[in-house]
Amino acid sequence: MDGMAASALAIALVGLGFWTLLRRRNVIWKLLGLNVAAGGAILFLVAIAHRPQARPPILGLGPGQSADPLPHALVLTAIVIHFATLALSLVYVIFLTERRHSQDVHKLEEER
Amino acid sequence: MKWASGMAILALVLLVAAGTWSLFPRPDVPPWEEETAAWGAKNAVAAIVLGARLWDTLFEVLVYAMAMVGVRLALRPLRRTEPQAPLPETPLLRRAADVLLGPIVVFAIYLAASGHLGPGGGFPAGALLGSGLLLLALAKGADRLGGELHEPILERGEYGAIVALLAAGLGVLFLGWVGGGLFVGLNLLIALEVAIGAWVVLHHFASSRGEV
Amino acid sequence: MGTVLLSVLTLALAVFALTQRRLLWGVIGVGVHSLALAGVYLFLAAPDVALTEAAIGFGLVTFVYLLALRRTGRLVVAASEAYPILYQEGERIVGLEWEILSRFGRSLHRDVEVLWVPRSEIPRLLASAEVDLAAGGFLPRDGEAALLSSPLVPTRLVTVRTGEGPLGAVAGDRGQDHLPPDAPTYEDHEALVRALARGEIGGAVVDLLRARQWFLAGHLRDAEMTPVEDSLAFRFAVAASETETYAALERFLHDFSATGELARSLEEHLS
Repeated sequence: MDGMAASALAIALVGLGFWTLLRRRNVIWKLLGLNVAAGGAILFLVAIAHRPQARPPILGLGPGQSADPLPHALVLTAIVIHFATLALSLVYVIFLTERRHSQDVHKLEEER
Repeated sequence: MKWASGMAILALVLLVAAGTWSLFPRPDVPPWEEETAAWGAKNAVAAIVLGARLWDTLFEVLVYAMAMVGVRLALRPLRRTEPQAPLPETPLLRRAADVLLGPIVVFAIYLAASGHLGPGGGFPAGALLGSGLLLLALAKGADRLGGELHEPILERGEYGAIVALLAAGLGVLFLGWVGGGLFVGLNLLIALEVAIGAWVVLHHFASSRGEV
Repeated sequence: MGTVLLSVLTLALAVFALTQRRLLWGVIGVGVHSLALAGVYLFLAAPDVALTEAAIGFGLVTFVYLLALRRTGRLVVAASEAYPILYQEGERIVGLEWEILSRFGRSLHRDVEVLWVPRSEIPRLLASAEVDLAAGGFLPRDGEAALLSSPLVPTRLVTVRTGEGPLGAVAGDRGQDHLPPDAPTYEDHEALVRALARGEIGGAVVDLLRARQWFLAGHLRDAEMTPVEDSLAFRFAVAASETETYAALERFLHDFSATGELARSLEEHLS
């Protein structure tokens, strides 16, 4: 139940993020959309790792089923790398604004 | 055009949702308890990140460091030349920085050192340290803090952390190092690397365009 | 149950953030959304991921966006259409003030976005800092909390009388100050001149620029024009919280008139 709700949320977030990515013309808005979509992708993996009434995958937390630790380990570094690539892409946005005086993709495309 | 992109995204969402339906109910989790204990850890995630998939983690740290080098190089031509007008003194912020910085640093070190026993680990610890440095920068002004934290020393610390991490990886590979102590060391090094990287980003962003 | 509620909240925050007009609110909304997402991870028995997301997704990512936004945002301008100085020609925006605004935007490395609003909306938008600037034949009224730029186009207020009946004005315009409180008001100059043509009102208090434009368009055949208030000027108004933008605008306008370009543009657009 929880896992299903979370994966539904994940899919909705990815759709919302892609919608922003396609429809907005400002590059920073596009990056924000990508940010939300990345959150959705990470949430999807975490939701897949979940089991009903699961406990965290740590020893000594009592009986019962635990969540699957492998997807957690996978997304942990993905979040960090996401931050790094985001910083790099914002640097290029700053460059674009400095050199071309605009963040609007339509303007950037027409005035070469 | 608007409709076309909307319909495309809706179709994609429905397709993925239909595919997800067949993933539930999830099969049982394979047993991980003995494996985790064999790595000398209690937190299975730490055992995977720093044990079974150690090289994956090390090279991701390398990717992170590369991105930070990119930020540093790309923003260098955009450095401000004239000194920035100092921010107005805000006593509240200075007090907050004074009071909060200590607990933030201690908690970050705790997170890194106990990452193999409970939730935590090097990555959130490093991010927390970076946020603490940003708080300090807000209170003191980024330029002043940048002058006090000498960048060449930080750079050496960053590269030193990477070299130490790779050396630890080689030690695991050839000398068979294992155990909780190794995890503590790795987590602390990762935290150092992530914190210095975060500081580099924030400092360079702040000193090239606008102010903190 | 907690997961479902938190999921709904997370989705609502994401929708809120991505449908904002101002980038700053979008960034803050995505930051809060990340925090809620960390809560969802916690409910899904993933404390490691939740900690990392809270520290990085909520902390560092928001900071980086805010730092990048400091100088690269948009300049949002609220304006009512004023024919020779700021108006739309098909899809394009043209006019004297547009020339100044777009150059000013370039000097700040910011895109300029114009919201077309009635004059009476402008004080509220400026006070809430929803817009950075007001333009479009803006005549300041007394008691409006905004920073006023140096004068751009000198003008004066006049009364145009075409027949019998009360005088009208545009709601929120400076002309309203010179009328009794129960005088008829209209949303914009378009509506005012239509009422004038229908004979609903016997005259109007407007600035000279609009009166001249109506006269040229043939709305006022044998009207009587009497000056009401001299030595006024169209200016830009900057939101009171945007002191940095105001200082930059003043510097820019000073340079713009010192090099004689203001006089040249005035000549070009208003003659």
